[in-house]
Amino acid sequence: MKFLTSNFLKCSVQDCDRSNDNFPLKFNGEKCQLEQDESLEFNPQFLLRIIDRVDWPAVVSVAADLGNSSLPPSKPEFADEELSEEDMVILRDLHTLLIQTNIVEGEMVCRNCGHIYYIKNSIPNLLLPPHLA
Amino acid sequence: MLPTPHVSCDYDKVYEPSEDSFLLLDALEKDRAFLSQFLGSKAALVCELGCGSGIVTTFMMQNDIPSKYAIYVPTDLNPWAIESTVSTAQRNECDQQIFSPVRMNLAHSVRSRQIDLLVFNPPYVPAESVPKVPSDLDTSPAAGQEDDSTSDWLDLALLGGDDGMVVTWKVLENLDDFLAPEGIAYVLFCARNKPLEVVKHMQLQGWKSELVEHRKAGWEVLSIYKFYR
Repeated sequence: MKFLTSNFLKCSVQDCDRSNDNFPLKFNGEKCQLEQDESLEFNPQFLLRIIDRVDWPAVVSVAADLGNSSLPPSKPEFADEELSEEDMVILRDLHTLLIQTNIVEGEMVCRNCGHIYYIKNSIPNLLLPPHLA
Repeated sequence: MLPTPHVSCDYDKVYEPSEDSFLLLDALEKDRAFLSQFLGSKAALVCELGCGSGIVTTFMMQNDIPSKYAIYVPTDLNPWAIESTVSTAQRNECDQQIFSPVRMNLAHSVRSRQIDLLVFNPPYVPAESVPKVPSDLDTSPAAGQEDDSTSDWLDLALLGGDDGMVVTWKVLENLDDFLAPEGIAYVLFCARNKPLEVVKHMQLQGWKSELVEHRKAGWEVLSIYKFYR
């Protein structure tokens, strides 16, 4: 799964919808194996639109789970018309993080109920066992 | 007419693209301009629920539907379907698309009100009940085993319980939670699903709904409706 995908996934347990802790899922950094997919081309216009829609605190929190604590606490802002050199550096970094980073193997945990979801072969499995579904 | 993606998968475990799949492709092709305008130039989250072979998501990726700014997160219960979706996307050179399939039930693990374009070709065949999800332990690709229960995955892709609507209702009843405020859903029905009654019910709930395509396919009459606020 892409790093970006973590921004859309919540715990599958319905009761957890009533808590504020079902998103983002907490990644167990020690168990996670990452891979960079460098073939994906950098597209600043697309990335600006993605940054616009993501939940930034969740990006920061998942990045920290995976060992990257370098992100600013608040969402970076860009003047739409012309991007400065500095903007481009930030955008390239975020491209590397959000789009090129693949979580190939790993675990994610709901911070409310503690249910563990596994990622195998880049595919996260959000299905619940029958007794929880 | 836009070309149909190449698909290769094991049709003992994954639903083979059929008339219903092709009608969905035609509907999305027909509405291509509408969708790009409807969703504007934001980064759209596109979720096909029950992506099966991956033909529909791949078709959207190949043709920039709804726009070139789309994030594709197809879902399926069936691990083999997820595997097929990955390989179908690869075969059709979608490597520059933002594509990240997730194994889940419908859209129940997607954060509330995030999906901009939802596409659903449900298990719509009327049946006594909706089959149970086969046990993972012996049928997942990771387990590397196969037995007769793999065909249960096909039943799950086809059988929709009462009126063939049990699974479709699970999506329609949750549509307000699944769809982004300006999102839109494309859902396929067969005549035995009584789509006119369904649409009327949805309209009473405040949804706008329009017929996009319909076609007689063998003994079935299939139709695709879009729903938005």
